[in-house]
Amino acid sequence: MTKYLRAYSISLQETLQRRTTLMMDRVGGFAIVLSLFSFWNALLGDKSSFLGYSRQEMLTYVLLINVLRALVFTGRGWQLVGEISSGRISSYLVRPIDYYGYALALDLAQKTVHVVFAFLEVAILAVFIRGALFIPTRWETWLMFVLAAGLSSLIFFFMEFMISSLAFWTSESGGPLFCFELFLSFAAGAFFPLDVLPEALRRALSATPFPYMVYFPARVFLEKVSPTEAAKLIAIESCWLVVFIAAALSVWHVGVNSYAAEGG
Amino acid sequence: MRGTIAKYSRIWLRTASMGMQAQLTYRLGSFGFLLGKMIRLLFFFAFVIAIFNHVEAVAGYNLVETALFFLTYNLVDMLAQIFFRGVYGARRTVTEGDFDFYLVQPCSPLFRMVCSTVDFLDIITLLPVLVMIGMTFARLPAYPWTAYAAYVFLIVNSVGLIFAIHVWAAGLTVRTQELENAIWIFRDVMFMGKFPVDIYSSSVRAALTFLVPIAVMTSFPAKALLGLLTPSWMAYAVVLSVSATVASTYWWRSCVAHYTSSSS
Amino acid sequence: MTIALETKGLTKDYRSPVKEPGLWGGVKALFDRQFKDTRAVDAVSFKIEEGELVGFLGANGAGKTTTLKMLSGLLTPTSGEATALGHVPWKREAAFQKKISLVMGQRTQLWWEIPALETFKLNQAIYGIPEAEFKMHLTELVDLLELGDHLQVPVKKLSLGQRMRAEMAAALLHRPKLLLLDEPTIGLDVVMQKKVREFVKAYNVRNGATIMLTSHNMTDVVELCKRVIVIERGRLLYDGSLDRLVERYADHKIFKVRFSKPISAADLGQFGTVVNVADMTAEIEVPRAEVAAAAAAILRTYPVKDFNIEDVDIDDIVRRLFTHS
Repeated sequence: MTKYLRAYSISLQETLQRRTTLMMDRVGGFAIVLSLFSFWNALLGDKSSFLGYSRQEMLTYVLLINVLRALVFTGRGWQLVGEISSGRISSYLVRPIDYYGYALALDLAQKTVHVVFAFLEVAILAVFIRGALFIPTRWETWLMFVLAAGLSSLIFFFMEFMISSLAFWTSESGGPLFCFELFLSFAAGAFFPLDVLPEALRRALSATPFPYMVYFPARVFLEKVSPTEAAKLIAIESCWLVVFIAAALSVWHVGVNSYAAEGG
Repeated sequence: MRGTIAKYSRIWLRTASMGMQAQLTYRLGSFGFLLGKMIRLLFFFAFVIAIFNHVEAVAGYNLVETALFFLTYNLVDMLAQIFFRGVYGARRTVTEGDFDFYLVQPCSPLFRMVCSTVDFLDIITLLPVLVMIGMTFARLPAYPWTAYAAYVFLIVNSVGLIFAIHVWAAGLTVRTQELENAIWIFRDVMFMGKFPVDIYSSSVRAALTFLVPIAVMTSFPAKALLGLLTPSWMAYAVVLSVSATVASTYWWRSCVAHYTSSSS
Repeated sequence: MTIALETKGLTKDYRSPVKEPGLWGGVKALFDRQFKDTRAVDAVSFKIEEGELVGFLGANGAGKTTTLKMLSGLLTPTSGEATALGHVPWKREAAFQKKISLVMGQRTQLWWEIPALETFKLNQAIYGIPEAEFKMHLTELVDLLELGDHLQVPVKKLSLGQRMRAEMAAALLHRPKLLLLDEPTIGLDVVMQKKVREFVKAYNVRNGATIMLTSHNMTDVVELCKRVIVIERGRLLYDGSLDRLVERYADHKIFKVRFSKPISAADLGQFGTVVNVADMTAEIEVPRAEVAAAAAAILRTYPVKDFNIEDVDIDDIVRRLFTHS
């Protein structure tokens, strides 16, 4: 356990050290939130609600996107692709650590830094709109939000890892990964609430794990889901997590074996 | 002069064809990137259309006008991607030593760094955008030919402005051998150009017009077509573009003079 | 004879930011950047005549590559002058660039995923080589470098030796009059090294091209260069014939002695520097002036079975040159 804590703390320092990369990520994310925020603000104009979201709720949704992006969409897929295709992965495989645990520790460090920054940015925007935000008062809501968001963060980690593991077989796994991440941003509701989509499409998406990434936790936060419904959905989300852990680990093992068989 | 143009077009076509050949060896990867870009385009377009199922106007623009802004953003962005793609790999070009070869060969290193990495897939993604712009034109009322001329002219002007920004970023990479991030920050901030600049608050709008002139690149052409841009603003756009280009080439020259090549 | 290359007090400093470690150091560097100048090349002056093939020697980081990069126009010197084929290299005039080439053993200008011939055609466009001339030069290079069908195969599928020869061909399509070679044989096996060397020699003789080459491989230098320039920590240490270099620095000979009973190393120390001693054999470096006396003394004092006096290896001389200073 200590070695993973060690990895976490080193990665935390490194994330802070690499200022330009950090700043780039944050500025980029902030630009997206600022434009979505302004867009909804302009769209709502003097209307009181849109698609069942009050002005307050819609703007809160956009700010939640920023926090959830920081928490959920920071995986280590691209690093894994790089490490596999350059062969650096071998140096991990011979060491007495579990690569998954190690990568998760690094990712958590990244998430810590990004979430802190995301909250700061949201706070700045909140000041500008003079607190016209929806803040839940029930502690159960907060608990379930944290639970739902935490689960989605893990699902994303394993899902991304599974796709990145394609790098064991092809040097071109960057393409599918890029495609997956773009698709996911939309299907997860990281640009707009899925209520915008036509009914049929929305129903199809709800059978996939994607809406759990952003849309679901955000709706829990906005108390748009009844507590019993939320509990049920969190249960389903946990099942998805189990499915993806199993899938990712088995792909990983097959991949490592075929990698070792070819001699790297 | 004619000879120079002929020579540079030959080099451009040559590298373009080589780029395509190289890309064809990465079919899966290229396909993933192509699909990802298409998904992004279609999802956003679907989003804009879905929104207008529920509202009449956003910031005073109707569906077709909003679509025009969005598609103009895509057009400008893709043109930059096609012609100035090399900047996104500038760090690699410098650290792997390719830039050393650019400097000893009788061809402008700026040209080779910025313009001579062409991605044919981007040209493919440009087609649907052009078709959609045509469809938007058909749905808009007929404007005098000067409006269309101003649209095309300002698009060319935007590409000039984007060129300047790319040259500036390329120079930074040559000088510091890092900071390729600069251009990625720009890409992310460019996101704000997806919507008409009028949705933003006055201070953000001022920043997007004078500080980080994204509005000039994306909103100005569409506004000119809709007859909403005064001649003095057009003049501002041209002056900005020309002075930025001149300044960035000076910057580039100074960066090349300070080039340190990589170690060894 | 005309001068192909001339430098006067050529100097290059590299400026690098100095950063204190830790988070606070990083924050400080954000506002108050400190720089440190390192002198990579220090007032180097030499002249090379047209058609000469000169070896450029020095330890790692001595400034060889930096000098070559300035001579090819890649880097602008901090101070000093240089003329190459009548041009100031770092002005990067097209007329100059069409007459030179820089080959770096660790770098490649060939596109990785596609056949080398494609890069050749790109160079044809860049250097503006007419089609007929291009074909002629290409045939000649393919022939001399034994490239055969290798040019039709994606570069990533070539062996290192094949790739290096294709690299050479790409650099020479425009028939440069000045060729700067940085470690052209690095990583190649002995047979390939020999091929590359023979080619360099042939190119020099056929085209009367001026060639400057750096190499860690002494065989390259011995077989190709009559003249060598040695630099150490950016300073010019030696400029002259290879033979004289050997004479000047080989100030000792090596005794290889086999005794009929074990001898202690301490005893042998009086004759020179003991390099190597096993129980019955010893290797001693003896200053030139004392060779005769030392040999006589050893033969007189010890039970010697076999006795050899050898010249110092050139590789050794150069190594000594670098560790000396």
